[in-house]
Amino acid sequence: MAQTAPDSKQGASPSMSLDEARVLPSGEREFMLDVRTQDMELNMGPQHPATHGVMRILLRVDGEIVTGAQPHLGYLHRCAEKIGENVEWLQYLPYTDRYDYLSSMNNNLGYSMAVEALMTGLEIPRRAQMLRIICAELNRIGSHLIAYGTYGLDIGAFTPFFYAFREREWMMALFEKICGARLTYSYIRIGGVFNDAPPGWLGEVERFCDVFEQKWVEYYDLLMENHIFVKRTADVGVISREMALDFGLTGPMLRGSGVDWDLRRDMPYSLYGEIWKDGAFKIPVARGEKGSLGDCWDRTWVRVMEMMESIKIVRWCLAHIEPGPIIGDVPKVLRVPTGEAYVGIENPRGELGHYVVSDGGKVAIRVRVRGPSFVNVAVTEALMTGTLLSDAVAIVGSTDVVIGETDR
Amino acid sequence: MLAVTETPLAAPAPVGDGNLVLDLLTGLRPESVPLWAVMATSALIAVGLAVALISLIAMFSTWMERKVAGHIQCRYGPMHVGWHGWLQPIADGVKLLLKEDIIPKGADKVLFVLSPAIVLASLLGAMAALALSPNFFFADIDLGVFFILAMTSTTTIGVVMAGWASNSKWSLYGSMREAAQVIAYEVPLGISLMVPLIVAGTFNLREASAAQGGWYGMHWFVFQNPFMLPAFLLFFTAVLAETKRAPFDLPESESELVSGFLTEYSGIRWSFFFMEEYAAMFLYSAVGAFFFFGGFESPFTWAVAQMAPHTIDLGETIGTLKLLGEGSLLHNLVAVATIVVKAFAGVFLMMWVRWSLPRIRIDQVMTLGYKYLTPLSMVCVLGAALFELAWIRFFGGAS
Amino acid sequence: MDFQAIHDRLRVLRAPGLLGSDEPRPADPKDKHSKGRAGDPFLLVDAQKLVDFLVVCRDDARLSFEILADLSATDPSKDAADLWINVNLLSVRHKHRLAIKCTLAKQQARMPSSVRAYRAAQWAERECGEMFGIEFTGHPDPRNILLPDDWIGAPLRKDYEFPKEYHGISCV
Repeated sequence: MAQTAPDSKQGASPSMSLDEARVLPSGEREFMLDVRTQDMELNMGPQHPATHGVMRILLRVDGEIVTGAQPHLGYLHRCAEKIGENVEWLQYLPYTDRYDYLSSMNNNLGYSMAVEALMTGLEIPRRAQMLRIICAELNRIGSHLIAYGTYGLDIGAFTPFFYAFREREWMMALFEKICGARLTYSYIRIGGVFNDAPPGWLGEVERFCDVFEQKWVEYYDLLMENHIFVKRTADVGVISREMALDFGLTGPMLRGSGVDWDLRRDMPYSLYGEIWKDGAFKIPVARGEKGSLGDCWDRTWVRVMEMMESIKIVRWCLAHIEPGPIIGDVPKVLRVPTGEAYVGIENPRGELGHYVVSDGGKVAIRVRVRGPSFVNVAVTEALMTGTLLSDAVAIVGSTDVVIGETDR
Repeated sequence: MLAVTETPLAAPAPVGDGNLVLDLLTGLRPESVPLWAVMATSALIAVGLAVALISLIAMFSTWMERKVAGHIQCRYGPMHVGWHGWLQPIADGVKLLLKEDIIPKGADKVLFVLSPAIVLASLLGAMAALALSPNFFFADIDLGVFFILAMTSTTTIGVVMAGWASNSKWSLYGSMREAAQVIAYEVPLGISLMVPLIVAGTFNLREASAAQGGWYGMHWFVFQNPFMLPAFLLFFTAVLAETKRAPFDLPESESELVSGFLTEYSGIRWSFFFMEEYAAMFLYSAVGAFFFFGGFESPFTWAVAQMAPHTIDLGETIGTLKLLGEGSLLHNLVAVATIVVKAFAGVFLMMWVRWSLPRIRIDQVMTLGYKYLTPLSMVCVLGAALFELAWIRFFGGAS
Repeated sequence: MDFQAIHDRLRVLRAPGLLGSDEPRPADPKDKHSKGRAGDPFLLVDAQKLVDFLVVCRDDARLSFEILADLSATDPSKDAADLWINVNLLSVRHKHRLAIKCTLAKQQARMPSSVRAYRAAQWAERECGEMFGIEFTGHPDPRNILLPDDWIGAPLRKDYEFPKEYHGISCV
């Protein structure tokens, strides 16, 4: 950035050749008849509005065309895994809030379930399971609302962002009522949840669902069907099915490439198996409606459609929830039996895996976090080359990266 | 410079040649003051008025933008400074003036300081050709709209200079996009404006306005020719691109280029670019109003012009003042109100578009400009010309 | 397929480097010192042949592990001679998982890169390599990913000592 712009043009040698032609992203052929120029290196980030935090992407650009991209991470590295080996099992729970801070409930759930996998014989009460699912799904809605809104911002539409935040605000108010925090909840604990729903809370969740179902139509019309938005995102950043699997993409990124895979259905945990058998929700899988299968539009579409499915899951839970205990029999000083377990759950961004190793003590041997953002953002490197600068922004936005999770 | 026409607001005084301020100053001049000093003062007053006008427009537009954006986005916008935040632009202006003036270390200092000045100056120049009422304007130029287009295009030079001088790659991107975009859209802008020019037969804003006075003040050009409405849509699209407004705000595009050519600017220099943007929006909207939507003409203007003339005498120095009737004070005030309302309606439309649509990509901008808008505007010109010819041929041109 | 079926299938395929399996078991009530083990069953694989093993897992139609869900390492304790390499595979077609564990001597932490089998391994190995000081031979881009390029030491090893200062920034 600090280099002088004029200098970057120095050393160019003129060339006149009719043979050299390249295909532009628009499909046209461009002939190299003018002065040949050097590529320029461009730092997108660590402080850049489109990188959703402090990711840095080193771009090599030829005018508007990106000829190479290299993401650099680590600006938000907070040593979560090292901390996990130094604090007690329960003390680590608040740290899980902080990696994907937009879906803290799901992170709590993933970590709790990984520890519970080691604690044989620990029964999670049914009401706690219900509350967990309600919170996790509401949080999924909130997270997808951010994804939808900020993707609009990346494309240049401001208004969807504010619409999305209006409903997210309500969602956060709901969480504030149940656990006292708005962003870093630490609500789902090992063995259950730490607080029962206050009186009237479940009714308010139901009202939220009613309103959200109406507002969702607005979201869909406002952005997803907008002609400019479609033009900007369709056929951009196409990830084929094979590529998606090879890169280990999960969640909406994978479903956006047409792979019908959702851990909630295919490897059911908690009560999801029961909910699926009841036919309460579906898994939206992209079909390449507006362009080729696996483009940015498809990924965004999957997220937008998933919000409605989450509402259905919440409604199912509201219909079936019954009074009861909210936390299992977990001692104050937790000693987790020896063993190791990997538990993956369906986070809004993909599979959040926790690999925990215990030697029977109060402190973990290893808490490995497989952050979906970390895996998903790796694909940008391969996608950006050959696109336009604006498309590069669209591609980063469509991965819905949360830097807290890539860097942990 | 505040000239008055052959139907003057006040009766002409001997020296000033129809210049209101000059006349006034000459009348009040003591013997010891030389005449050139009086003329210079009068020129300065006119410049001051133009600057004040731009600042007022920019201030009002920023407030309006925030309110429009706020209400589109389910919020209020500024609410605390004054009634519904109407003093917010003043608070912002004070803040911007008091901010530290930062010039980046590697920047080309001269160009960096010069470019906001060029941007604002070229717009001030363009403002000179804008008539505010039938009898009140800064400069009555025969090629008025031509002059406005030429002067506003000059702002591009300032923007390109700013991008280059900032010595930042993002700024360079912004300015190159601006240059490419303005070159692409200058063509459809000019050609689509040819359509009303064909109908009006004049480049002068006041004359164009006067030609739309029939039909109780509703004989606007847009109703005179079937090709006028498509031409206006093309004109509006080109204006959006020309003034860097969404969906054509690629030179700034916050999410891609940080802030484009404004990245390294701060404080009052930064605000100059914004004053230019809002003033340009107003100016283009006013031009659109003059050449498509009747200019000063509206049923109200028409009604005032029909009133019986009424004149009062204000004494030796100033002369007589017309209050009612054609060319009177009230007529001029209504005309000012009409054009300001029409221009801000255009500005509102631009804001509405900005807060509703995403941004388009640079190759799409170029494609739209060269492949669609330019040929379409040419078709419009051809169609309008043939229509006018046929009208004259078969109906004797009594449009 | 459940774990036992996967294990049998890999034995039939003679998957390179397959050493055995480890399954959770309850504590032996007779032996006071045995703690038992909870959690997932996993396969033990030779680290040097891991990439070939992964290729077999990926390409066999009945296993069809398309996704490398996770690749990381564990340092079991300060005194241990070996690191563990933990791999988790996922099959979208057959809806099953497989956990793999390799051991790798701390003294000579070097193993072939798995990028040949899964491109997902590229970033996972970069992180694993910098955090545990493992060298993945044949990795196309073996730079640090989360740590600065000039960081000294492998932070997630149990014998890691926190630096006193870094570029003039006090870390105490």
